[in-house]
Amino acid sequence: MKKILFSGKLLLVGIFLTVFNNACTDLTETTYDQIESKDFLKTEEEIIAAVGAAYTSLYGFMNHNTIFTIQEITTDEMVIPHRGADWLDGGQLLRLHYHTHNPKEDGFNNAWRFCFGGVATCNRLLETLTTADPKLAAKFTSELKVLRALYYYWLCDLFGNVPIVTAFAKAEATPATKTRAEVVTFIENELKTNVPLLDKSRNYGRVTYYAGQAILAKLYLNSEAYGSPKKYAECITACDEIIASGLFKIEDNYKANFTFNNDASLENILVVPYDATFAQGFNLVQMTLHYQSQNTFETQEQPWNGYCSLSEFYNSYDSTDTRRANNFLAGQQFSSKGVALNDDQADDPDGKPLKFTPELNQLEPNCYRQAGARVSKYTYKLGSTRNLDNDFPIFRYADILMMKAEAKWRAAGAPATYADAEALKAFNDVRKRAGVSALTSLTPANMLAERGREMFAEAYRRQDMIRFGAYTKPFQYKTGIDKACATIFPIPDPQINANKSLVQNECYK
Amino acid sequence: MKIKVNFKSLVLLVLFSALSNFAIAQKTISGMVTDAESKEPLVGAAIVVTGTTKGTLTDVDGKYTLEAIPADATTLTFSFTGYANQTVTIGSSSTLDVALKGGSYLDEVVVTGYVTVKQKEVTSAITTVKAEDFNKGNVNDPAQLLQGKVAGLTISRQSGSDPNGGFDIRLRGVSTISGNQQPLVIIDGVPGANLQTLDPNDIASFDVLKDGSAAAIYGTRGSNGVILITTKKGLAGVTKVEYNGQVNFENPANKVPVMTSEEFLAQNRALNATLPLDKQAKESDFNYGGSTDWFNQITRQGLSQVHNLSLSGGAKGTSYRASVNYRGVQGIALNDGFNQVNGRFNLNQKALDDKLNLSMDIAITNRNATYSFNEAFFQALTYNPTVTPKGTPNTGFYNGAGYFEQNNFQYFNPLSILEQSSRKGATDRLLSSFRAEYELAKGLKISSQFSLTRDKEQFNEYYNKLNLFTRGALRNGSARQTTNDANTQLFNTLVSYNTEMGKLGFSAFGGYEIQDFEYRGFGAYGGDILSDKFGTDNLGASVSFKKSQGEATSYKNTSRLVAFFGRAAINFDDTYSFFASVRREGSTKFGENNKWGLFPAAGGAVTLSKLFSIPSVDNLKLRAGFGVTGNIPGLSYLSKSLYSPIPNSFFYYSGAYVPAYGPSRNSNPDLKWEKKSEINVGLDFALLDYKLTGTLDYYTRNTTDLLYEFTVPVPPNAADKTWANVGELASSGFEIGLNYKAVKTSTFAWETGINFSQNSVNLVSLSGGDLKFGSSGGLDLAGVGAPGLNGTYITKVQEGEPLGQIYGPKYIRPKTAADVASLPAGERAGAIGTPLYEDINADGKIDDKDRVLLGNGIPKFTLGWNNSFKIGSAIDLNFFIRGVFGHSIVNQYRTFYEVVDPSSVRTKNVVKTTNFDPALKNGEYSSRVVEKGDFIRLDNATIGYTIPMAKGGKISNIRVFLAGNNLLTFTGYTGIDPEAKYRDTEDGSYDLGGGGLSPGIERRNTYFTTRSFSVGVNVGF
Repeated sequence: MKKILFSGKLLLVGIFLTVFNNACTDLTETTYDQIESKDFLKTEEEIIAAVGAAYTSLYGFMNHNTIFTIQEITTDEMVIPHRGADWLDGGQLLRLHYHTHNPKEDGFNNAWRFCFGGVATCNRLLETLTTADPKLAAKFTSELKVLRALYYYWLCDLFGNVPIVTAFAKAEATPATKTRAEVVTFIENELKTNVPLLDKSRNYGRVTYYAGQAILAKLYLNSEAYGSPKKYAECITACDEIIASGLFKIEDNYKANFTFNNDASLENILVVPYDATFAQGFNLVQMTLHYQSQNTFETQEQPWNGYCSLSEFYNSYDSTDTRRANNFLAGQQFSSKGVALNDDQADDPDGKPLKFTPELNQLEPNCYRQAGARVSKYTYKLGSTRNLDNDFPIFRYADILMMKAEAKWRAAGAPATYADAEALKAFNDVRKRAGVSALTSLTPANMLAERGREMFAEAYRRQDMIRFGAYTKPFQYKTGIDKACATIFPIPDPQINANKSLVQNECYK
Repeated sequence: MKIKVNFKSLVLLVLFSALSNFAIAQKTISGMVTDAESKEPLVGAAIVVTGTTKGTLTDVDGKYTLEAIPADATTLTFSFTGYANQTVTIGSSSTLDVALKGGSYLDEVVVTGYVTVKQKEVTSAITTVKAEDFNKGNVNDPAQLLQGKVAGLTISRQSGSDPNGGFDIRLRGVSTISGNQQPLVIIDGVPGANLQTLDPNDIASFDVLKDGSAAAIYGTRGSNGVILITTKKGLAGVTKVEYNGQVNFENPANKVPVMTSEEFLAQNRALNATLPLDKQAKESDFNYGGSTDWFNQITRQGLSQVHNLSLSGGAKGTSYRASVNYRGVQGIALNDGFNQVNGRFNLNQKALDDKLNLSMDIAITNRNATYSFNEAFFQALTYNPTVTPKGTPNTGFYNGAGYFEQNNFQYFNPLSILEQSSRKGATDRLLSSFRAEYELAKGLKISSQFSLTRDKEQFNEYYNKLNLFTRGALRNGSARQTTNDANTQLFNTLVSYNTEMGKLGFSAFGGYEIQDFEYRGFGAYGGDILSDKFGTDNLGASVSFKKSQGEATSYKNTSRLVAFFGRAAINFDDTYSFFASVRREGSTKFGENNKWGLFPAAGGAVTLSKLFSIPSVDNLKLRAGFGVTGNIPGLSYLSKSLYSPIPNSFFYYSGAYVPAYGPSRNSNPDLKWEKKSEINVGLDFALLDYKLTGTLDYYTRNTTDLLYEFTVPVPPNAADKTWANVGELASSGFEIGLNYKAVKTSTFAWETGINFSQNSVNLVSLSGGDLKFGSSGGLDLAGVGAPGLNGTYITKVQEGEPLGQIYGPKYIRPKTAADVASLPAGERAGAIGTPLYEDINADGKIDDKDRVLLGNGIPKFTLGWNNSFKIGSAIDLNFFIRGVFGHSIVNQYRTFYEVVDPSSVRTKNVVKTTNFDPALKNGEYSSRVVEKGDFIRLDNATIGYTIPMAKGGKISNIRVFLAGNNLLTFTGYTGIDPEAKYRDTEDGSYDLGGGGLSPGIERRNTYFTTRSFSVGVNVGF
């Protein structure tokens, strides 16, 4: 009994000791698998990792239903048909092609988040890096500002009227809409101030002096279409800066710019440096290919049988144009071992054999499963995962040359035919590489068409069609004529919900 | 003979010990305690020398012997759960037989937060369910015991009758819109304990704290209600050995009707005949010559067995109970099920003149589960019925280890899914708890509890090299192994004081509690493995890792809760009761600026029947309570500014990829608890000599500072979602519980109970400050999904409207030639056979503005009706009927597959319910597939026979029983199960408890429900 008594008292004492020793009202939160802000940005390695975030947000470019999609399927070069049981998706993808879209379409919000995510990251880094290590930060300041201008150039192109935010910690909670003209001016000033401070070398996947000039050239070429003053002379100057560097050239082989080991291309000026392991997000392989194409490319994931081209666009290529064979998959498909493939659920007239036809029987509701030439511009590596290895070109030298040509034509008053030697050469160089005959003169129609063939699936078709006035007019499977204000997309519904200071664009009020 | 042991007796035993150090003149009394009506002996009834702690309990024959009664003692008090206490004067005789009158429950003890109170002093809405009232039959999860038993408590299985599926438990509907909606579970004083650490056989009772005034003592975790579980304990002096065993047979309760192979062929041929000759499919394009019922192929009769052995007893100051439980369960899907062994040990020891009370609980559970693939059910319904699973030659490029396979979207041989894939889980759980209580002075006690829980899960997933499903084939085999480890430590200490001054009773306690949580885990995934033999056991053999295609992950996070709390109550003459309580609680999860919350409660009751004499009314008590409770964010670190690696994204820097880091999320230093205020008014009554008892409750609750992950503008924010406290949710409801002891004689007894609950919940607002919500008409949630129905939403969340609203276009019919001709030209005029919708706003087109309210996924009211009979002394019969009403269900099978779609008709079978319309060619979501979910179900029924045994034999009782579960359902719903679906299983946050904003969707990947029959035996030694 005595022993129990003793240990009982000891226990009681123990209980109280526990309480008062721990005196536990400590609610400090300890982290283990994440780093607290106050402990981050202490080394150069950490600062570089932080800067990385401004670039890695580019990896979302080639996902389904974001910035690539809304610039492609709204044009005459690509579409996602409603294939019976598949791809209706609330009709949003068809509405994009018909130009009857509304602010709720997912693609708009995804593209907005893509761009403004990049802007916010640049803003954040510009402030936090300066606090962390002003000396090291200075190395990145201009680069981040130019990268931010690139995101803003896309915002200006897609949505037109958007808020301009450059601060982070002290930024307004609900930044207000600025006019497209103000946005254009902002981008131009940012670039003019910061591009000259950038490195004048080729730097793969990073914003350099020449990438900066390319953004300027795009901004100036489209300035008139954006409702701002014409800036064709400035466009030519920017192009000349790139041309004069001698760092870039037209590759002999078109494919060299797009294949899975295209990092050797001297034609690409700025790319999204995709990688199957390190830089994931280039998912065109699933977006366009047929379920059975899995056997052609031995892909690890089953494709979705979505994106395809349109017959009028496909047929705009000469049959000898080597770009056609590179850019599209058409006709009977074979397995990687050369066996003809079948679609077991074929609903098209020629039955099971898997043959992609450039013609669609209809856009909806029952487009055949095998209808539409598929996008194969970015060569699919055998055994690909859903994340392609191909780097995606944002700016390409051939484009710069054609842009200069077009700027010269426009500066000359945009005559119905134009035969400036340098301008003709720019277009004929790419035609020559494609194995098709040279043009004898430039017209608005043949310039737009050539740009289309050359720049297919590089997310420039919408911008080009707008500049040439073709976007608002009817094209294949798009019958209506749009109002002028339809050349910009609506401000996405979730963004209007989240920020009371945003104003909806004219066409979508 | 009926063994009846209950918690109250245990408490009394603890309080009134048989040990005494005072040895003056003494007396011994013995006797028997029986039921006054049925004359049956009562086992475990308490006999106490009135006003002292001296007492004992009756044995299995209802007999007792109370020794060493002080000479000055004048009366003994006899008590037993469910019976009125009786105080009997000690005469000269040494024998005292007492017959207790059944009926009054007023002296029963109810477990509330941290303490127990007598039923007559309860001022809150608390429902107690004891073992004898639990659901019976095929029960493998503690939640099943309670299903339908408590007004306001709804329990529904997350996925059909999946033996490894969890349960969604909702108390009084929905009180939060994000994250955790499950009530706080407290097992023997350990809050937040995992129900899975308990075997249903070890549970003595549930006390459900329904309203805020009762739950407020649990502070930040009280908003969803509290379920207190008391496990079975041993009784000193009553040695018992019990064995319960049962075998369950399970079969699918229903099928979703699909076309037979003949119908499938006829349909294809008919469609073919409408096409021009050159466009017709060849017979061999859709006919593979077989006739397979895929559903039968992937299912079997489920067979399970349950064994439970327990020993309990004790002597003097020691009591114990030990049990071991085994459950071997096979589900109806091939290969799925689990084996579980659970051991539990409880020990109570008194010391220091009974002033010190020590108790210890340890429960260990080991479970090896083989998980099903719900995709197999989905594929079985839609796979081509002319294919023979392993006989038909493949037309795709997979030899599929002999299984037929083709390359189509979402198209996998159902049998191959189950036989060539495996997902296994091994779980070890520990729940341990140590408690000490010391009586410092009369009525003044101090107690402390320490508890350690641990849940360690290992999950293994493997897909064979030749398995097309989830691309095992394309990855050349793929293996994943994951471990998750959750540890919790609890310490609390409590000082309590109870006293009586004449008619005035006073009790109070104050306490401190700290609970630490730690979660960590590790996982690795790789493919490209030489041999299927390894499964997940040799990840080093995966070539993926060498190709930079393997994955490894690990994580760790912690959190802590600290609380100070107290409660004081007074009671006057058992007529007026009043209490007030408060809890001040802090959590590491809250932001720097809001670490501590205050949760007050108060309540009162007046027993009207004590003030006025009303004929036939034995008890009438009016009570009211108010309480503030909280709900805590699900994740740690939401308030902190943190950096982490950006997934799968490296920075291409100086010719090489280097890590890229970004903010994990927007931090919110103001983050705090959700705050729920609730008022509850209730009436308890007992009529007709306690034959009819009942409870009515009305409540109204307001939740403010709702936790929600808001979309915020970027910039200024770093990310476009922020967890914040904004908005308000209001709900109210009404509950009735009635119990009627209709007949009770020695040869026949019938008791019936009914409960009813009604609830409605409105989202008042989800805006505040700069956080705006729903300016364009609400938030669309719950996408219908692939194929073809992404960007098509089912749920609409709107301010000022009820939660759970199902929106969609109104379906009229498949378009006819005349419809197509008469429709205005537009982009979606469509073809013959596409669905025709009502143009609600008559603007000539069908768009978002034509979506209308089609139903609500949350039930309006629920009903439970129990009947138990006793016939003679040997036969017992029980059946339970349950109904849920007013909810709608979106039938996803019909959405996608109850159509004859030319783009899938050759490969996919067609769902064919009574609603089937062969003219419809396009599967779209609309009012066509929103069905009423109302149902009434004969949930379970049991018949038992107790074999008469000779008194004093080695075996004291044997009961055999036959039980059935899910026997009969009356419903108009044509899908798998009309049960309310409280959460959307395809919501991205489902595994974290999310998906609650979009109830009422029956997704395709759903396990089917079963009907089961059980035979079992209970033996007592």
